[in-house]
Amino acid sequence: MTSTLERPAAPSGPPPAPGQTPTRSARAEGWVRRAPLLPALVFTIIVTQIPFLLTIFYSLQSWNLVRPGSQQWVWFDNYVSVFQDSQFRGVALNTVIMTLGSVLIAVVLGLVLALLLNRHFIGRGIVRTLLVTPFLITPVAAALLWKTTLLDPTYGLINFVLSPFGVGEEAWISDFPLASVMVALIWQWTPFMMLLLLAGLQSMPTDQIEAARMDGAGAWAIFKELTLPHLRRFIELGTVLGAIYLVNTFDAVYMITQGGPGTASANLPFYIYQRAFLGFDIGQSAAMGVVVVVMTIIVATFALRLVFRSFGAAEGSN
Amino acid sequence: MAEVVFDEASRIYTPGATPAVDKLSLTVNDGELVVLVGPSGSGKSTALRMLAGLEPIDAGHLRIDGRDVVDVASKDRDIAMVFQSYALYPSKTVRDNMAFPLKMRGMDKAEQAKRVNEAAEILGLTEYLDRKPKALSGGQRQRVAMGRAIVREPRVFLMDEPLSNLDAKMRVQTRAQIAGLQNRLDVTTVYVTHDQVEAMTMGDRVAVLRDGKLQQYATPSELYDRPVNAFVAGFIGSPAMNLMDLQRSGDGVTLGGSTLPLTREVADAAGSADTVTVGLRPEDLSLTSEGDGIKAVVDVVEELGSESYLYAHMAEHPDTTLVVRGPGRTRVRYGETIAVRVDPDAVHAFDASSGERLAS
Repeated sequence: MTSTLERPAAPSGPPPAPGQTPTRSARAEGWVRRAPLLPALVFTIIVTQIPFLLTIFYSLQSWNLVRPGSQQWVWFDNYVSVFQDSQFRGVALNTVIMTLGSVLIAVVLGLVLALLLNRHFIGRGIVRTLLVTPFLITPVAAALLWKTTLLDPTYGLINFVLSPFGVGEEAWISDFPLASVMVALIWQWTPFMMLLLLAGLQSMPTDQIEAARMDGAGAWAIFKELTLPHLRRFIELGTVLGAIYLVNTFDAVYMITQGGPGTASANLPFYIYQRAFLGFDIGQSAAMGVVVVVMTIIVATFALRLVFRSFGAAEGSN
Repeated sequence: MAEVVFDEASRIYTPGATPAVDKLSLTVNDGELVVLVGPSGSGKSTALRMLAGLEPIDAGHLRIDGRDVVDVASKDRDIAMVFQSYALYPSKTVRDNMAFPLKMRGMDKAEQAKRVNEAAEILGLTEYLDRKPKALSGGQRQRVAMGRAIVREPRVFLMDEPLSNLDAKMRVQTRAQIAGLQNRLDVTTVYVTHDQVEAMTMGDRVAVLRDGKLQQYATPSELYDRPVNAFVAGFIGSPAMNLMDLQRSGDGVTLGGSTLPLTREVADAAGSADTVTVGLRPEDLSLTSEGDGIKAVVDVVEELGSESYLYAHMAEHPDTTLVVRGPGRTRVRYGETIAVRVDPDAVHAFDASSGERLAS
C-alpha cells in the first residue's frame, strides 16, 4: 500500500515545450472541437453581420422607393442630415426617457414588491404567481389591453375607477402619449425586476440581519446599511438587462400610440421603421440605423462591464 | 455588568411537541462566564437566542439585572453577540463593521473612532481596519466579530460556537484569548458550544443541556468529579467515561469475572436493583501486572505521546468494551490481553433505569 503511494507517478507524456508549434494531430483535434460550433457561427454572421454591412451600404446612398431611379451615391450626406434632424434628436430623447424611466420605475416598484414578498404571509404563493403574470403575457396583447380595456377615454377601466375622484373622460393616450406607453412597459417589466430582486433578497444571510438587530439597527437602518448594498449588483443587473430589452421596444409604441401625436411618443426603432416603411426613405433610415447601433454598442459596453465587474468582485465574498 | 436569570424559560416551536427549551432555570452571576454545552438538538443555541431576543420566550421569565426582558426587543437589551458564522457585514470595512453598533446608537464620530481603535488594538486588527471581511482569514474575521461585540461595552456577551469555524490550532489559541479577554473586561458572558473541552476550559460554570432540559449546572471540576447522571458522566471528559450496566453480586458488581466493590452508600441507594450502571474514567484505570486485574483484549491502541489510550473488550464478555489510559510509551499491541486495575474510590455508580447518580 505505502510502496505504491511512494512510487512517483508515471509521467503522462512529455509536456509540449512553450513556443513549439502544435503538431498536426493537435490542430486536427482543435478543429474537431470547434467544428460543431461552426454552423451556429455562420448562421449568426449571415443574419446579423451581412444585414449590417448592407445597411451601411444603403446609408451612403440617397434612395427613396417612391421615386424610382433616384438611387445614387451621396456618401455621408445622410449622416449629416440625421444629426441636423431635430425630430431625430427628439425621438432619441424619447428613447432615453422611455428606456431609463421605465426601467428605473420598474426597479423601484419591483424592489417594493420583492420586499413585501420576502415576508411570510398566508397566500404568498398565489400573490407571487399573480404578480408574475404580466411578464408572461405577449407584449402585443399587453399593449392592446392597455390601449383598449384600460386607457380608453370612454370605456377604459382607469377612467371608470377614477370617476369617483372627478376624473371624466380623460383621453390618456392622446394627452400623455409617452407616459401611456411607459405605463404599459413598466407594468410588464416590474415582475422581472421583482423576481430578480426577490432572488437577491433570499440569498441574503439571515444572521447578518440578526446581528444588525442586536447591534441596535431598526428596520430602516437594516434596509439602508445592509439590504441595499447586498442588492446593489442585482439592481445593476436588472437595470442593464431591462434597458437592453426596452431600448428596442417596438410593439408597445406601435400598438398604443403609433408614435403619435406627431413623434411625441416615438422611439428610435419606431421612427426608423416609419422612415423606412412608411416614408420609403431607405438611405436616411439606414443612416439612422447605423447611428443607433453604434450608440447602443457604446452604452452597452459600459453597462455590461459594470455588471460583470460587480458580479466578478462579489465572487468569494461568502 | 449584569446578572442574567432564566426562570423556567421555555421555547415551544410547535404546540404539543417537545419544547426546544424546557423550563430552563439558571442564574449567571455578574462577570461570570457560563458555558451552555450539549449535543446538537439539546436546545443550547435556542436558549442563547432567547436571551438575545432572536427567539421569543413562550413561557417563564428571563431577567437581566432584575428586569424582565421577555417583551423587550433585542436592540434594547444591551447585549452583544458573536455568531458562529461571524455575520460580518460584507459591504463594510472592518472599521465600519466594528463601528456599526456605535453608529446605530448615535454615538459621535470621534468617540466611535476612539473605541474602534482601542478594540482593534486589543485584538491585533489595527492594520486590517480598512479591509473588507472577504480579504481576511477565518481567525481575523472571528476577531472582527469579537471587536464588534466589545466596542459597545454591553452588559452581556453572547457567543454562539464562535470557534467552530477555525482550525484546531487556531481554536486552542483563540479559546485562551477569549477567556483572557472576558476576564479582563469582566463582562457577564454566556457561551454556547458542543465541545466539552471548550466548556471545561473556559467556563466558570457549565450548564449541560439535553433535549431542552438542564441536566447539571456546576463548576467544571464538579461536573467531572460528581456528574449527576449517566448522560453528564458520558458527555464530560475525553475520551468518554466507560459506562457499563453490571450485575450486582453481594456488596459489589461483577466486572470481567472479578468483583468490583461498591461503597455502602451506593449499595444502599441501589436498593434491590439487579443491575447498576457503573462509570469508570479511562484515567482512573491503570495497567497492572498482578494477577488480580480485569482481563481485557486490546482492539485499538491510540498513542498520543504523553499518554496512550487502549480500546479493549472484556476477555469473558466481548460485548463490554473499555477504554484504558496507559503510559506514553506503551508496549501493548493489538490483540494482547491486558490486566486492568480499577481505583475503587473513582467508581461512579448510576441507577440502571433512570441514570441518576447513586448516593452522593
